[in-house]
This record gives sequence, structure tokens and C-alpha cells, in this order.
Amino acid sequence: MTADSDGRIPGGPESATLLQKPVDRRAALSILAGGLAAGAQAVSACTPLSAETDQEREIKQLAWQEYIKGNYRFMTEAERAETIARLERLAALERGLDVTIQSTGAQPGVVFGYAFNISKCKGYRQCVEACINENNLDRKAGTQYIRIFEIENGVLELDNDDAIYQHEVPAEGHFYLGTQCFQCADPPCVKVCPVGATWQEPDGITVVDYDWCIGCRYCMAACPYWARRFNWGTPEVPVEEVDPNQHYLGNRARMRGRVEKCTFCIHRSRQGRLPACAEACPTGARVFGNLLDPDSEIRWVLANKRVFRLKEDLKTEPRFWYFSD
Amino acid sequence: MTRTRVIPAAMCVAAAWSSSGCHPGGEGKAEEPPPNTVAAPIDSATAALNATREPGMLAVVQAVPVKGWTGPDGKPFEVALRSAAPEAGHSRQFGTTDLPIALRSRAAAISQYPCTSCHQGRKVVLANERISDAHNNIKPVHPDRTGAVCSTCHSADDVELLTLKSGERATLDESYRLCGQCHFPEAGAWAGGGHGKRLDGWQGRRVVMACTDCHDPHKPAVPVRIPFRAPQLERTRGQP
Repeated sequence: MTADSDGRIPGGPESATLLQKPVDRRAALSILAGGLAAGAQAVSACTPLSAETDQEREIKQLAWQEYIKGNYRFMTEAERAETIARLERLAALERGLDVTIQSTGAQPGVVFGYAFNISKCKGYRQCVEACINENNLDRKAGTQYIRIFEIENGVLELDNDDAIYQHEVPAEGHFYLGTQCFQCADPPCVKVCPVGATWQEPDGITVVDYDWCIGCRYCMAACPYWARRFNWGTPEVPVEEVDPNQHYLGNRARMRGRVEKCTFCIHRSRQGRLPACAEACPTGARVFGNLLDPDSEIRWVLANKRVFRLKEDLKTEPRFWYFSD
Repeated sequence: MTRTRVIPAAMCVAAAWSSSGCHPGGEGKAEEPPPNTVAAPIDSATAALNATREPGMLAVVQAVPVKGWTGPDGKPFEVALRSAAPEAGHSRQFGTTDLPIALRSRAAAISQYPCTSCHQGRKVVLANERISDAHNNIKPVHPDRTGAVCSTCHSADDVELLTLKSGERATLDESYRLCGQCHFPEAGAWAGGGHGKRLDGWQGRRVVMACTDCHDPHKPAVPVRIPFRAPQLERTRGQP
């Protein structure tokens, strides 16, 4: 192999020459995309039957640029802003939605923790309803992040307990225990991801880059708490029910074949608000706060109540405690 | 006991977020309120609440709406911020925490408020005998079980105040002082954060619901009802 006059090896893996300019692989694809779009425009001008509107053309261009973008974790601030602008524009073009997608980072000195009062929960599932609405969960498949188990007093065998009860609650002689993603401090789901599409943020929230996920579902197999959900089809949310306040790593529109999970409502909690489940709970069974703040309610619960976690022997260190009065 | 006593200025500035001018006697230095705080001038209802304050009670420093939260009827949720002076209020009462808290004003939630529209002399029992249909919406389950009568909790000589075992009196907003006399474990957990419901975010101002915001004081048990729909999940048994 011989080097050309610039000293560059033609077709070398680290660079390509396109239009006499050195560019990396992604940029080359991006430029090609522009050329393809222009070519398609020229072709469609000659074939009136496949007339393409400006809007359709823009959608195709944006979708192509989205297709070749990088992993969110390694994007620069500028790249993040670009992809968010594209996603917002796509939502407007495709569905007529005016969404705002945040890229808010973790607050310094904050690690989120959650406590669940099994004496207080009455099994109303109002948290489930709020979660579905807040996180734009697939209405067609009936995706739910939260499960509430109805458990006989004096027993704790989740193997045999009922999460699909449908009768007047609270039932006599039973208590209720809710599960969701526990945002483990040592999350097994992150370890098994073959492409690095899921990771733990500095505030303890384990997130998924839906565009980087390949849908292999290893993380679902690894999670001991069955906290992750897979989109077998494209999630369907009616336009009028879409929550427009979104986060790139949270409740933005998901695609078919990707894994999603509870993020403690990352778009709310990073702005100092409570997750939707905690805000909706009518009994105050859900306590949420900053584990690093010694004055927080969650710290008071951990210091003053008898708490336990599920499957502690696995050493996943969930940041989700159960307590009773 | 005069009902129109002047509130000491020190009571008004104890809350870290109290801004100057929030109260006629307030001398707090002007500082940026937390992001989820909506500043509002003191209104006549808050002034009236303060007028009923007695020694040892927390003063209302500011009445503010809670953003993003509406009550059961879609009404905006008003809270009364109370000063957390260490010598007064829940911190002394329960000894578990001295966090500043904000409580809801009860007046808007009581259907027949103000009480004085019927109880002209502010007495708990009307002088001209009991009217047959008065308070027929109240199911006195809790008083019946504990052998209590109206004046066990309601101050006999002022219907808009609660009476405590110590002889002190509390406003209707301060139900935790009354309920906590017997339900002290719950009151302690409430003051700390293990009982009760927090509103308006985990950060900044701590807005909590008081006892009677959730529990009907005359019938405190939580009613049964049909839950939201069950999940259609492949795995609802067999794995936690």
C-alpha cells in the first residue's frame, strides 16, 4: 500500500478522503446523506407519481442524521444540542408535537434514594397511573414500570404473591409492596450491556440511550428485580396524551426493539421535583430524596425506621428501601 | 387572652426563605427564594390566621400556592409557611427534627368555614340548642370509639380553635399538635418524614400535608376502593 501525495493511505481505517478533504467516517456518512437527499430530489422531480414534499424530505434527512449519531454519553455539549434539536423537530414534523427535550445533567452532591412504606401503601395503583402518563409508556402494550404486589400479612414470598389483583383495596389481612427499578449502586444490567447503551449517572440513576440500544435484552436477563421493559412494537401514545416535558435519557419517544426502564422521572427529579409516582401517591407511602443530604426525609427514614431491601444477598445495593411504621 | 395580639418580629424571620415585606412585622433580609417557591404577599386570610395565634404556636409568615399541585377538587393548593423557631412548634413537641416545614391552611378545605357564621358566640355548642341537621355530614367514628365529645378536641370557648390536654390551644391548621398527643409515634415520624405526604418537590421548601389533610378527623380510617387497572405483563408472578 502506498501513501498518496498528502502522506495519507487511501482507504485507511482512520480517515477517508471525500471531496479532497480529510474527514472521519461519521462525517463522511453525513456528507453522503446530503448528497443522497439531493439526488433523491433530482429523481423525484422527474417522477411526478412519487412526488415528495419538503416535509417528507426534511424528515428523511433528520432521520438519517439521527441514525448515524453517536452514544449520548460521549457526545459533546454541541452534539447533544444538535440531536435534541433534531428530535424536537422530528416530533413536530411527524406528529405535530411541541416537545421539550432536556439534557439536564446530575446535580452535584446528589444521589437519589427511595423508601417505600409497606404499612401505608393501600394498593390503589395511583402511582402506576401517574407513571404511565408521565413517562409516555406504550398504551398499546400496556407497559408499566411499577408493580404493586398484594401480600398476605406475615409472609414475604414474592414468588407466590399477586401483582394483578383487581378488587377493592386494601384487602383484609394483606399488605402492599411496590417494585420498580431500584437504581442499584452496583447494577448488573449495566455490566452485561455489550454496547454500553446503559450506564449509571453520577446521581445514581441508571439510564438507557435508546438510540444506542440494540435490543439484545441481556440487561433484562441480568436484572434480578425484573425492572426493565422491552418494546416489542413501536410504543403508541395518543398525541393528546403525550407528556411534552421530556428528557433525552428519560421519557422521550422510544422506538421498537429497545429496552426502557424507570429513571426516577429523571426529567423531574433533576429539577428538584418528586418523581410522578411519589407525587401521585395518595397515602404518602413513597419517600424520595437526596441520600447525601443528612437533613432529607429519606435519611430520616433510614436512620429511624427498620428498613430492608429485596435480594440483599446479591449485593446489587439497591437504592430503594422498604420500611413499616 | 386577646385574639389580636401582635406577632413578634423574631417569629416571622426564622424561616430561611422568608423575604422582607412578606409580613407587616418581618425584618428578614431579602434573599433569593428557592426555585420552587412562589413569593406572594401576605393576604387577609393569613393575617387572620396569625390573629388567632397563641403563645408557643408557629406564626404564619407567608401564604403561597404550591406549583403543579391541585387539591382533590382541582383547587389550587395553598400552604401556610410557618416559622421553625427552635423554641416553638413541632421541633420541641416531638424532638426529632427541626426542619422548616410548610403546612396547608385548613380554612379553604372546611366546607362550613367560617364556623362563626353559625357559632355566633364562638361556643362549640350553640346556646339555643342543637340544630337537627347541623354537621350531619360528620360521622363521629373516632370520638365514639374513644369516648370523646366535641369539646375534647374543639376549644369549648372558641369554636375555631383546638384544645390540647395541656390547656394550650391550637389553630385548625395545627392538627398535628392535637393528634400527636395520642398518636405520638405517627407525629414523630411525620415531623421526620416517615409519615405523611410531601408536596412540591424533594428539594427546597418542605411542604407537607398535615394530619387532617388526609385523615378525616372524625373518621380517620382510609376507605376501600377499586384500584387502577392491573398490568398485562408476562411476569406478574414468580419474580420480584
